[in-house]
Amino acid sequence: MRPVHQSPAPWLLVVLLALPFVASNYWLHVAIVVLMNITYTVALCAVLRMGYLSLGHAGFIALGAYTSVVCSVRFGLSPWFGMVAAAALCGVVAWGLGALTLRLRGIYFSLAVFAFGEIVVAIARAFDWLGGPSGIANVPRPSFFGIKLDTHFSFYWLAMALAVLLVTFFARLEQTRFGATLLTLKTEPGERLAESVGVNTAAHKAACFAMSCAAVGAMGAVHSMYLLFVNPQVFSFLMSTDLVIYAMIGGTTGFWGPVLGAGALTALGEQLFSVGYWKTLVYALILMGVILVVPGGLSAVSALWKREMTPRGGR
Amino acid sequence: MVLPVVSASSPAATAAVMLRVQSVGKRFGGLAALTDVSFDVHEGELVGLVGPNGAGKSTLFNAIAGVFPPSEGRILLEDRDITGLPSHRLARQGLARTFQLVTLFSELSVLDNAVQALHRHRAGRLVSGLLQTRSYREESARWRERAREALALLSLEGLAEQPASSLPLGQAKLLAVAIALATEPRLLLLDEPAAGLSHEESSRMMDLISDRVRGRCSVVLVEHNMRIVRRYCDRAVVLQFGRKIFDGAPAEMVNERAVVDAYLGTGEGA
Amino acid sequence: MSLALFLQALSIGIVNGALYILTALGLTLIYGILHIVNFAHGELYMLGAMLVYLLFVAFEWPLWAAVPVIVLLSVLAGFAVERTIFRRLRGQWLQLLVATVGVSLIVQSVSWIAFGAQEKTVPSVLEGVLLLGTVRIPIERLAAAAIAMLLVALLYLVVYRTRTGLAMRAIEEDEETARMLGVDTDRVAGVSVALGFALAAMGGIFVAPIYSINPGMGLDAILMSFIIIIVGGLGSITGTVLAGFLIGIIQAIGSLALGAEAAHILVFVAMIAMLVFRPQGLMGRVR
Repeated sequence: MRPVHQSPAPWLLVVLLALPFVASNYWLHVAIVVLMNITYTVALCAVLRMGYLSLGHAGFIALGAYTSVVCSVRFGLSPWFGMVAAAALCGVVAWGLGALTLRLRGIYFSLAVFAFGEIVVAIARAFDWLGGPSGIANVPRPSFFGIKLDTHFSFYWLAMALAVLLVTFFARLEQTRFGATLLTLKTEPGERLAESVGVNTAAHKAACFAMSCAAVGAMGAVHSMYLLFVNPQVFSFLMSTDLVIYAMIGGTTGFWGPVLGAGALTALGEQLFSVGYWKTLVYALILMGVILVVPGGLSAVSALWKREMTPRGGR
Repeated sequence: MVLPVVSASSPAATAAVMLRVQSVGKRFGGLAALTDVSFDVHEGELVGLVGPNGAGKSTLFNAIAGVFPPSEGRILLEDRDITGLPSHRLARQGLARTFQLVTLFSELSVLDNAVQALHRHRAGRLVSGLLQTRSYREESARWRERAREALALLSLEGLAEQPASSLPLGQAKLLAVAIALATEPRLLLLDEPAAGLSHEESSRMMDLISDRVRGRCSVVLVEHNMRIVRRYCDRAVVLQFGRKIFDGAPAEMVNERAVVDAYLGTGEGA
Repeated sequence: MSLALFLQALSIGIVNGALYILTALGLTLIYGILHIVNFAHGELYMLGAMLVYLLFVAFEWPLWAAVPVIVLLSVLAGFAVERTIFRRLRGQWLQLLVATVGVSLIVQSVSWIAFGAQEKTVPSVLEGVLLLGTVRIPIERLAAAAIAMLLVALLYLVVYRTRTGLAMRAIEEDEETARMLGVDTDRVAGVSVALGFALAAMGGIFVAPIYSINPGMGLDAILMSFIIIIVGGLGSITGTVLAGFLIGIIQAIGSLALGAEAAHILVFVAMIAMLVFRPQGLMGRVR
């Protein structure tokens, strides 16, 4: 096992802290969206690392967003409470869905979560109390010690803090015994062996999925606060596939894979594509290229490159 | 045709009973794989489970190991009823097993395999782990030491840093046994430990197992290799067509008519 | 809910179910033989319907020319996709799943760009309503369902009475052994995918005059197909047929009681219930 490592890039933290003082509102907007997508993708990769692909993560983002909005708009509760409630509800629902489907073959999980994602959105569309097809507007921003976070500058701090917290959480998780155990569950023989040494694999898998969904649920709440509205179209299947694309192109292992994948592709997306369909087309084409040529994603390319560059004879 | 159940006196019969298999039966659809199988394993014994192909050895092994519950009967470990318990609960009860196709945590190093095997002894401490507190790191270091000791038990400590996937079959099989032993079981189930190994390799492995494992736990092994059974096992339980046809000293086993008949024509054994 | 309404919902449910079955069968066929869940399946359904609009309405081809052309195109697409993508990624289930998602996204986005967001309609081919007591069933829908059932029967014939079908069943049972016995698994794989694609396209062709057509309609179709094959049992043809009718009925009755969107919840609950009590589905095998 690797020795305990420090934060992968302290300079990254410095950049994040300095950014709001030098960036324009447009770039702050891009940064906020990038941070949210990185968080979603990192959470997705945590589940992917134990061998399962969620094709409906947007459903949990939606669940988190709607929970928070319902709390603050319909019940008049604090947005902070809404965020916590969002994380809690997503965690519980994910635990249930996970307990049910993670004991079956991987494909059942992927299909069931996909179906869940569609149903969440269908429910939102069906009921007026949840806003129906047009959604709910006038979502309040939270206040931090009396300061309302209603500018790009002030909101950035919230998005950044949560993103750093959650990404660090998942990075650290890999270094715990729990994280190491999750890695062994990727293959079927590994899972059987883990069971034979006393690991309750079903509980481990469900817990990992619950953590991932609680994280995206919390960020989903923040997402809704940023947009100032929620509607069913935002959290569509295309959002779920975006995350999968970021993960597969950037690479699913390590810290930089999902971070770079989500970061670069989100930023590029914001810049280059005004119409969603062109972005989807180009990204899907890149995805197909990556899958057919380099199945490990771009971070695997760098790993391959390093291996080629190392002098023969090992270390 | 009624198959006679032949029993002979067993050497360690006076010791406490570690495992009791009581009238265990298993049906798959209409097929009866096991019928009314009963035997005991005493503390410190090394028992061999043998029989021609299709006799039901693997089925019995898997039923004890918790892969599936038996259709009838009970299985008791140190007087505790473990019938039908799932595998991860069995590990906590003190039962460990190896797999017929050698199974390791292939993406981890040899040492990390042993660390993972210590799972049931370690408390959760997820939050300390996330915070990487000093005490968590110290504790992790202590576990790595303990894992090294588990490897040293079967003379594997020299391979600690190697990836588990790089081990040749003989060492991989030893590592699998080391993993099972690391859980500190009361009963160890070995699934064909000698399969795929040469004469020397299997002898060396069984010497190690016989030497290091006895006194630590009782052992039940499934084997086709009669030489291994005759040389290392205290007792042999022979199955045929899902029933027990012999239970006694391996030396007497080869003299029993029923056992010889069961193997005739299959070309088994040495 | 009155009896008359219930019977109406039941009848429409059965008819709808017949149409769902066609698309779901293509999915289950591909899964049974290749163990791939073809995420792009819904897009084939969408293209089936969209091409009917394009050829029959926009280019004014006669139906007897448009339909075979569409089916032929889907068959060719099936062979092409199997040869290039499926064969290349054989064994890597994760990459395969993501690849089919990728294909689905490509087809969807190209369709949005090419055809635009405006809903298209194909005029009815058969007018009229059949009256059975209080139950009214549009003849078009009934005819589509009847043809769908005919195609299902044909599929049964192919799978259970032809040599290719025998090869398919052998591969589904145990691919290794089938190959050792001389079955050309690559060729059968190609045929299965082509057949699966054709079934999906036909599902779309038949609903073209019934529903409005837009590039996003594939998503709902794939959702229904997934739910049906999970309830019926992944890879089981009979299971898919039974589940198709069951889900069609549940959805129709749910629509009546709770509204169309909320009916989705009921169908989803049916899937969850199946996963809880009998994960292998109605006719699936426990593996």
